[in-house]
Amino acid sequence: MNGRAWKNMASSDANLLSLITASRPGAAPTLLRSALPVVVIVALAVMAQVVLKGLLGGYYADLAITIGVNIVLAVSLTIVNGFTGQFSMGHAGFLAVGGYVSGAVTYYFSLTQWGSAAAAGGRLSGMPLSTEGLAWLGAGDVLFPVALLIGGLVSALLGLAVGLPSLRLRGDYLAIVTLGFGEIIRVVIQQSGPALKTPEAAEQAGVLGMATGLGGALGFGGLPKYTSLFWVVLFAGLTMLVAYRIKTSTSGRAMLSVREDEIAAEAMGVNTTRTKVWAFVIAAFFAGIAGGLYAHKLGVALGPVDAGFQRSFDIIIMVVLGGLGSISGAALAAVVVTMLPEYLRAVADYRMIIFALALILMMILRPKGLLGVREVWDADLWRGLFRRGKSAKGGGK
Amino acid sequence: MSLLIAQGVSKSFGGLKAVQGFALELPERGLYGLIGPNGAGKTTVFNLLTGVYRPDEGTVKLAGRELTRLRPNRIAGEGLARTFQNIRLFGELSVIDNLKVACHLRCPHGMPAAVLRLAGHRAQERALAERCGRLLEMFGLASRAHEQARNLPYGDQRRLEIARAIATGPKVLLLDEPAAGMNPQEKKELRTLIRSVRDTFGLAVLLIEHDMGVVMDLCERITVLDYGKVIAHGPPEQVQKDPKVIEAYLGAPAA
Repeated sequence: MNGRAWKNMASSDANLLSLITASRPGAAPTLLRSALPVVVIVALAVMAQVVLKGLLGGYYADLAITIGVNIVLAVSLTIVNGFTGQFSMGHAGFLAVGGYVSGAVTYYFSLTQWGSAAAAGGRLSGMPLSTEGLAWLGAGDVLFPVALLIGGLVSALLGLAVGLPSLRLRGDYLAIVTLGFGEIIRVVIQQSGPALKTPEAAEQAGVLGMATGLGGALGFGGLPKYTSLFWVVLFAGLTMLVAYRIKTSTSGRAMLSVREDEIAAEAMGVNTTRTKVWAFVIAAFFAGIAGGLYAHKLGVALGPVDAGFQRSFDIIIMVVLGGLGSISGAALAAVVVTMLPEYLRAVADYRMIIFALALILMMILRPKGLLGVREVWDADLWRGLFRRGKSAKGGGK
Repeated sequence: MSLLIAQGVSKSFGGLKAVQGFALELPERGLYGLIGPNGAGKTTVFNLLTGVYRPDEGTVKLAGRELTRLRPNRIAGEGLARTFQNIRLFGELSVIDNLKVACHLRCPHGMPAAVLRLAGHRAQERALAERCGRLLEMFGLASRAHEQARNLPYGDQRRLEIARAIATGPKVLLLDEPAAGMNPQEKKELRTLIRSVRDTFGLAVLLIEHDMGVVMDLCERITVLDYGKVIAHGPPEQVQKDPKVIEAYLGAPAA
């Protein structure tokens, strides 16, 4: 230890705040660097829609959309179960809320304004423009993202209402409350009235009638099918970007510290309740977006089942397999878990058995999940794997 | 006036009176010790001061501000930092991230700035990395900055916990058995470390310690607890001779 370093420290200690708030030159490059990943994601999304869709063909393009939706779900749940270590078991509840809310927005808006619930065209959704829109965008290109956003926001508000009371306490309360929450959403949806089929009926029923006309136990059919590779790649990319930027910031480190040791986190000045609630609300928001994407996907009939425990459990599997806290791990697991059943059609009935066995094996062999808390691009992950491989060889002698 | 003042602090768990009427006045730059036999209530006192437990009675004041009813994170914000008897690092996080978490209170740029990667966030991250890096250097942990904290050797973990407490920018540092499990060489270094921490950062330090060598050498004043009550308080040489202290540790002399 040298004395000068100590002296410097003491003075820099007092200056941390001024150091942070001091303006620095080079604001323009900062903006560029902040915005660049978003530009890249948009470019990837456009390319996915224009190039990839043709290459993949109908079946695989459809599978890719499902994968994208599951990536949004898994990565958003990672923010709660992975970052803060709280166990949410009702993520599908938020999926359903987002799906039904955004579905109601697109369905009834189209019905009342354009006279038909059919998709009103959208370039980004890969449809010809049937209704007049802006100069080069279709009406659906505007309506759909707005509906997704509304679905996400309502879902986030519900997340706040669920999280605030249950996250004030330490322990497993969140698991119990969220389990109940998913079931409540499922039952409420089941009790909703039939969807209104004509503009006149919708007009007559008013806003309240429309909000409760969600198809009940039969499911909410007839939603305009806007979800395309563009939208899915866009939101999967944005979800991962936001999750990554949170993870590598003060707020994200606070979340991780809560997971590691709540008492120590509190003693270091972390407001644990606020941290957990924020994580939960953000996760609910993105789950709501995923729900909207799912609801407007071709071949999907949104139903009460989508709020159920089975669906939540599927998402939990992805997060646990990928590694609690790893964004890329959750995304990878989402790809694997979505694709496996497609290739294992022959043993489809035993799907849950296979997943359960895989989870048990995982708990024994790699209790932290495939990647643990690390990311695919972390150098030390590969070094760690390499070293382990070598020592395993040495041990075999 | 004293920096940290505790008056009549009491806490019961059911019928067990864990701490009764604890009082302490810790002056600025003071280096005080808290000792007592096992189960005397020393760690409970720390938990009461830092808000992990709420006292049934009594008040705690830091620099004239009331801490008694605040939550632990607010108390940390007022300038009271601590380490733990059984090390409580953020094991899966890197060594430097452990310190960055502790700087939480001094980071004005939150989630929106982080998600949008605003200039303020970037400047904050730079300042954090610089400050925490320097702290690690001082504690001789710089070469291990990016290792997971749980992979550190025991002595390094103890030192990292102290560094983390200092990263919160405290006025008073509470150390719960910092020398536990250390060898004589490490204990010697620890003594130098605690003194230089006190001198450089102008902190007041209160430490719980079983190693009498460390306590008698470091502490200006010592408070002795037994069965939750303060039985002696004073300079080391006086406390050492106090018959009540000897009785608490060794039992009453055969008359």
